[in-house]
Amino acid sequence: MNLAILAGGIMIAFGALAAGIGNGVLFSRYLEGIARQPEARGTLFGQSMVALGLVEALPIISIAFGLLVLFGVIGG
Amino acid sequence: MEITPKIKFLGLTFDVTVMIGTLVTAILVLIIVLAATRRRDLRPRGMQNIMEMVIEFIQGITNMMLDHKKAARYLGFAVTTFLFIFIANELGVIVMITSEAHHSIPWLGLPEKAEVSWFKSPTSDINVTVAMAFAITIYAHLAGFFKGPKTYLKHYVQPYAWMLPLHIIDELAKPTTHAARLWANIFAGEVLILILAEGAKYITWLPLGAWLGFSLFVGAIQAYIFTVLAMVYISQKIADEH
Repeated sequence: MNLAILAGGIMIAFGALAAGIGNGVLFSRYLEGIARQPEARGTLFGQSMVALGLVEALPIISIAFGLLVLFGVIGG
Repeated sequence: MEITPKIKFLGLTFDVTVMIGTLVTAILVLIIVLAATRRRDLRPRGMQNIMEMVIEFIQGITNMMLDHKKAARYLGFAVTTFLFIFIANELGVIVMITSEAHHSIPWLGLPEKAEVSWFKSPTSDINVTVAMAFAITIYAHLAGFFKGPKTYLKHYVQPYAWMLPLHIIDELAKPTTHAARLWANIFAGEVLILILAEGAKYITWLPLGAWLGFSLFVGAIQAYIFTVLAMVYISQKIADEH
């Protein structure tokens, strides 16, 4: 039981870590793009939001399974 | 974690909460669309304006993936998918109904003293999203097969024959991630809302408000991404070779 809590915590923590790295890379490139070409802001914003949804997917899957393990629905 | 009432029928388990959620969402989509298109005018006003914006927005997706003749055929499907998932996602953020069971109810599978969830977003149940994603994938494969069986079968062994296992893993991973992406976003969002709502009321209202706003945003983005990916997976199979 204690190990399940530890496992859930680790899954959530690494999910957050990965999402942080992914979003950091994505938005740093987005800002670079705006700085280089300010008139492309509108197009870049839409595209980066779509990319945000795609990038967030895998960490949030890990977080969802982490929550399931944490509350003892699966595993444990 | 609260539990959901379940009915066992002919050896299958039916989740009552999911059935209620799906039904309410479907009826709501129908009402919204009918209300928007009841008094059509050449100069769109009010609801009709919003509906035309939604349809033109989805038209942008389908025209991006397919040529115009095929895009018109899939427009209805794409709009339906988008509206259903969008309304489902936002409903789960706005409305959540839970109750407490004092006695055990055997035919609903409820134990004594449990938090029972009666209404939540249907997309926060993995069975719903898996069903949608696999239905789309099966349709894409069948459409690709009947369009040209030779081309369809040949693409599994291209560019080399030993890549067959990689292609099979690819085709299995597509619907799995397609379903898990939508489910995990909505599920994690709802769990965090519940955790924040149960916390100290005077401390967690600010993060709760921020997270509710973000959940509305995530729901819209995920509905868009699900529709885009569905069209991508279908267009990969039926698009003409250039």
